[in-house]
Amino acid sequence: MRGKDVVLQNVSVMFGDFTAVHPTDLQINASEFFSILGPSGCGKTTMLRLVSGFLEPSSGRVLIGDEDMAGVGPHKRPTALIFQNLALFPLMPVWENVAFGLEMRDWPKDKRRDRAYELLDLVALRDQAKKLPADLSGGQRQRVAVARALAVEPSVLLLDEPLSALDLKLRQHMRAELKDIQRKTGITFVYITHDQGEALAMSDRIAVMKDGVILQVDTTDRVYDDPATPFVASFVGENNIIRGEIERRDGGYGVIATAHGSFRARNPRGLGVGAKAMLFVRPEKMRIVTGSEAPENRVRVSFLRRDLEGPFVNLFFQKDDLVFAIHLTNAGEAGREVPETLEIAFEPDDSMVMEAGELADE
Amino acid sequence: MNSLLRSFGPLLTAVILLLSGVWILGMIVAPQLIMVEKSFWYMDLGSDAVTLSNRINNLYNDVDLLRFDKADAEALPASPERDGKIAELGARIEAQVAEIEKLESQEIAPKKVYSLRNYTIMGTAHFMIFIKTILASLAVTVIAFVVCYPIAYAVAKLAPPGKVAIIMLGLIVPYSINELLRIFAWLMILNYNGVANFFIGLMGIDPVPFLESGTGVFVAMVYAYILFMVFPIYNTVETLDTNQIEAARDLGAPAWKIHWRIVLPHAKPGIAVGAIMTFMLSAGSYAVPYIMTRGIAPPWFTQLIYNKFFESANWNTGAAYAFTLLIACIAFIFVLMRLFRVGIKEIAR
Repeated sequence: MRGKDVVLQNVSVMFGDFTAVHPTDLQINASEFFSILGPSGCGKTTMLRLVSGFLEPSSGRVLIGDEDMAGVGPHKRPTALIFQNLALFPLMPVWENVAFGLEMRDWPKDKRRDRAYELLDLVALRDQAKKLPADLSGGQRQRVAVARALAVEPSVLLLDEPLSALDLKLRQHMRAELKDIQRKTGITFVYITHDQGEALAMSDRIAVMKDGVILQVDTTDRVYDDPATPFVASFVGENNIIRGEIERRDGGYGVIATAHGSFRARNPRGLGVGAKAMLFVRPEKMRIVTGSEAPENRVRVSFLRRDLEGPFVNLFFQKDDLVFAIHLTNAGEAGREVPETLEIAFEPDDSMVMEAGELADE
Repeated sequence: MNSLLRSFGPLLTAVILLLSGVWILGMIVAPQLIMVEKSFWYMDLGSDAVTLSNRINNLYNDVDLLRFDKADAEALPASPERDGKIAELGARIEAQVAEIEKLESQEIAPKKVYSLRNYTIMGTAHFMIFIKTILASLAVTVIAFVVCYPIAYAVAKLAPPGKVAIIMLGLIVPYSINELLRIFAWLMILNYNGVANFFIGLMGIDPVPFLESGTGVFVAMVYAYILFMVFPIYNTVETLDTNQIEAARDLGAPAWKIHWRIVLPHAKPGIAVGAIMTFMLSAGSYAVPYIMTRGIAPPWFTQLIYNKFFESANWNTGAAYAFTLLIACIAFIFVLMRLFRVGIKEIAR
């Protein structure tokens, strides 16, 4: 286990009058795969630059492995950064790219070449060692960047959306590969992304950021199942959202009155009667009402369209100006025959109400 | 060729080809060939040539005198004697004119004996000036690089985007002033009674003969051609992905190693272009050494070429001198390209 923890204490970053990161406390545990997720311009790259040392905080402290990093430049920190565009050195062959960090540490040429080849073995690129980066495919370049960062034996590996330039298949493959490398090496990974699917798939924990503020830090499951704010709920995964007003409290549940009827849902924030609220239901938690059952939360809707997404089927329904989505697993006859009008329903435990707030842009 | 036809059509293509053909032949190939031809035969400006031109001069004098005599004779009252005299004088004049034409045609078209003599007659003094010119131009190039690289890097990578335009303007403005004026400015600064020596004098030190020592040419030349180094380097450094610099830093590279391993290799084509331009301009400069040496410091090789052409009126040796310089410069380009391992294509980029 070589990973170190990263702690931000009351860190903020100002660029002139613009506050890129509001005062923030954040604890990233040693050897975990941690993602910072947010839309572009939310300050996540600024966070990464704070940890890597390219940026000094306007206030607060950055600690890596209990050491204060104030005044320590990027070349002196136990971190390595993988850039969004990888920033491989185009004029150097692959092995020299990988060995660059060792060259800077004055390793003799033979030793650093051997080490570079070992690392290239790790990413299955030994036979490409003498090529120039431009002669490699996107996925191969990706792996060179990983090998180059690992060569300096960092305790914390920082990744700035390194998969965004790859096509979907390769991206999914590289997700697995990165996670695998993280598990094998035990290095702390801090992964920046705006792709919530990527963050959910790879991370142990996620921080969701917006406008320089961290809204929620939690495990992937909890961020998905128990989002802290409407923004997190709408940014991470999809949600059917109905606006309304709390009309009654019922233990841990609240009943929300909306233009489409009243629904009972979990009320984890304990919203009081009369509060402006939003109801969130994940599309995969909704179902079509069949037979004569009469679930308590149901809406009569008309069928809009059916999108096939391989393993899933997305069904869309309309009720006045509101569109509902239902995700079904593509098994059996799932959603192939849908009547014109029907009822859809969800369980109170599968839905939640939150105080009305800003949503992520669709 | 085909793409030219496709984009411009047959008529315009023909015009373009014709014009570039005329330009290449008339402005580049023909003059060069004529000078090369001249440089390979030796025109003797020694005693024979002097005798010939003296004889022609004497003959012109004789003809003029005879014409006066003839005019005098024509003014006399008509008589057979007078007619005879006029006829005789006319015949002598014609003979003399014919002789002049013959001698002049000899002078204009001397017998050409092709040899390498023009290239081998350079004396030690001239050869030393040639070597000095090449070395000084090299030094100008190196100094220009040392000064320009940090400037180009700072403007391309460190300056905030809004300031780049202002810095560029600051760099260009002095160059909108005529080159001669800029050199004269340096003359006024470095003269024996100049600004520099005034301040040196204030400190109680004896004036320094900047111009006589040859320092003046050097300083003025670095100043005159430095911009030709800044822009090519700036252009290439500017295209370097800043992430690469940060990646190198992140991997533990100290500043000088970032430059040595990342920035300089990337900027190589720009440095080569800048070095070639600065070197060629310095080695071929005439105005700067002409103004800055003025006979009180050893001349630049270009001045010798000028003297051969227009003071000794010996175009043949002048052409040979000029070609010697040209060959040295071309050799320099190839050495530089080999040294930097850059190809023509990269330079053209």
